[in-house]
Amino acid sequence: MALFDFLKGSKGKKASPGPDGHCDRGILLFENTGEVIQAETILKREGWTIRVMGPPPEVRQGCDLVIEFPLIEQLDIMRTLEAEKLPPLRIVPVTSPLLQPVDIFHVKDFGEYLMVRAANMKLTIDKKTGVFVNISGGGCPDVPFLAASMVGRTIADAPSPRDIGHTLCGYALQLAYEEVKRRCSA
Amino acid sequence: MAITVDARGLSCPQPVLMTVTAIKSGGSDEITIMVDNETAKENVCRAAVGKGWTVANIRDETDGCGITIKKR
Repeated sequence: MALFDFLKGSKGKKASPGPDGHCDRGILLFENTGEVIQAETILKREGWTIRVMGPPPEVRQGCDLVIEFPLIEQLDIMRTLEAEKLPPLRIVPVTSPLLQPVDIFHVKDFGEYLMVRAANMKLTIDKKTGVFVNISGGGCPDVPFLAASMVGRTIADAPSPRDIGHTLCGYALQLAYEEVKRRCSA
Repeated sequence: MAITVDARGLSCPQPVLMTVTAIKSGGSDEITIMVDNETAKENVCRAAVGKGWTVANIRDETDGCGITIKKR
């Protein structure tokens, strides 16, 4: 295993993309979004380069989120998930365009404002001041609380949804929040 | 003179952005925003209060509701 790790480099935790950036990836399907969130946390904690995405149109199994991962690391990732009693329903190699996972982000520029939607949650920021002007979507019981805690505050001052949210909406809002931060710091 | 913003048929964040833009314009101390869904109503009220305005009245109508906000 040590030799294998040496050959792969960087302890096998980071696979470089292939020439087309597609054939070296796979997706993990889970029964429900709660499992996706747990798996994401575990795999990121272990240092894997993964992304939460939407399921491709051809896949009709599992929940509305999948985890994209470097296919070359399948065995190690499966061991990690099985050790955590979190095996996926299925692993699908991304071998065709119809098996491409879908980006869960939708970004709309309103000029002065930027809106990022992640799954079912929308987060809008004033580009000039960095103040969150609106949070909408979801339907979970903590959305009004999340909105009250974040709207009117700057991206630097507002709490992270991960710290104050308790639902899937809070999780989706966290993804939108991270994407807004990434775009605002770019 | 009061300003009326018609945000009916629009989903968030647009009613909120229209409200904030009207507030920023400084054209009036009283604005009525017309919306036609509960989410927009809540978000517009939250945005107005966050900008230091008060929600003076919410009037239900057949084709939505009118939210009147006033500058404090």
